[in-house]
Amino acid sequence: MTPDGILSEIAEMLVDVVGEEILLVGELTHDTSFNDDLALESIEFVALAERLQLRYGERVDFMAFLAGMDIDEIMGMTLGDLTDHIAASLALESSRA
Amino acid sequence: MPDLLAGGTRFHVQHIKGDGPTVVFLHGLVLDNLSSFYYTLAGPAAATGAEVVLYDLRGHGRSERPPTGYDVRDAVADLVAVLGALGIDRPVHLVGNSYGGVIALRAALDRPDLVAGLALIEAHATGDWIDRMSDTLAVAALGLEHDRVPEQLRRLGARKEARMAATADALLNGTTLIDDLAATPPFGPAELASVRCPVLALYGEHSELAGAGRDLGLHIPDCTVHVLPGLAHTVLREATAEVRDLLLDWLGRP
Repeated sequence: MTPDGILSEIAEMLVDVVGEEILLVGELTHDTSFNDDLALESIEFVALAERLQLRYGERVDFMAFLAGMDIDEIMGMTLGDLTDHIAASLALESSRA
Repeated sequence: MPDLLAGGTRFHVQHIKGDGPTVVFLHGLVLDNLSSFYYTLAGPAAATGAEVVLYDLRGHGRSERPPTGYDVRDAVADLVAVLGALGIDRPVHLVGNSYGGVIALRAALDRPDLVAGLALIEAHATGDWIDRMSDTLAVAALGLEHDRVPEQLRRLGARKEARMAATADALLNGTTLIDDLAATPPFGPAELASVRCPVLALYGEHSELAGAGRDLGLHIPDCTVHVLPGLAHTVLREATAEVRDLLLDWLGRP
């Protein structure tokens, strides 16, 4: 899975969680931030994390990833930060297999 | 799956399995939801091996918003239904923040068979909070309706604020929450004296609820009251690390 592939999956999930209005901010890129650009509510980020966990299962440990940050750090992330973490987790997993 | 049907209502639930004690988190009113625990106490509790349950209360967060059923006994019935739907049949530890603490205390009194312990964070346990809160919410409800706040915020481009205002509007003007809350009976000394499980009560030094903390310590037989210096009502958000350490110590005690 390429970072761009992961990014477009996250974009679809965001539409699912927030609704089509999320697309009003323009194109979702690696630099788009959850708080400043998307104005995502913290409960919406929880719903996004649930969808990602369902998609990637145990290959990506979101609870452990998020436990290392406080809410402001989490909402301050960009889509690229999240995409990079998922890509790195998946690469680690396939190198073990 | 995050969506769970319990007692005929759809709840947004997070269930993290573990071999340790079961810890259930109950959040506060109107703009609060499970995210306030998801980002603070749930992860550390799960890391100790506890089985963790978080859910959005009826009408809150991403749970269903039925028009009725918002008094504290309805909330206890919802809690019992959620635990039942998850197949949890042993006594649980309830962690309640703000109004979530009222639900936790009511559950311990009405269903002592289901509750092993209570951790109450800034809970509205005693005093005239019911009148004050229902007045505050009624004023907010009128304002949201008359000034069409959600619409105006949307026009200003404040989308997050607009969504939050729309949520508050739907809950305060579209359900019986305010009336149900106004009918909540306060906890009296005799009732508090009948709490059988251990209780941890955390309050901010400058909180207007600090008197409730003193009442709990005075009347509940096994109650540890801890006052967090320099803080008011928002201890969970502003003293997360301290609240987390106190909670984990308390859960881990023999």
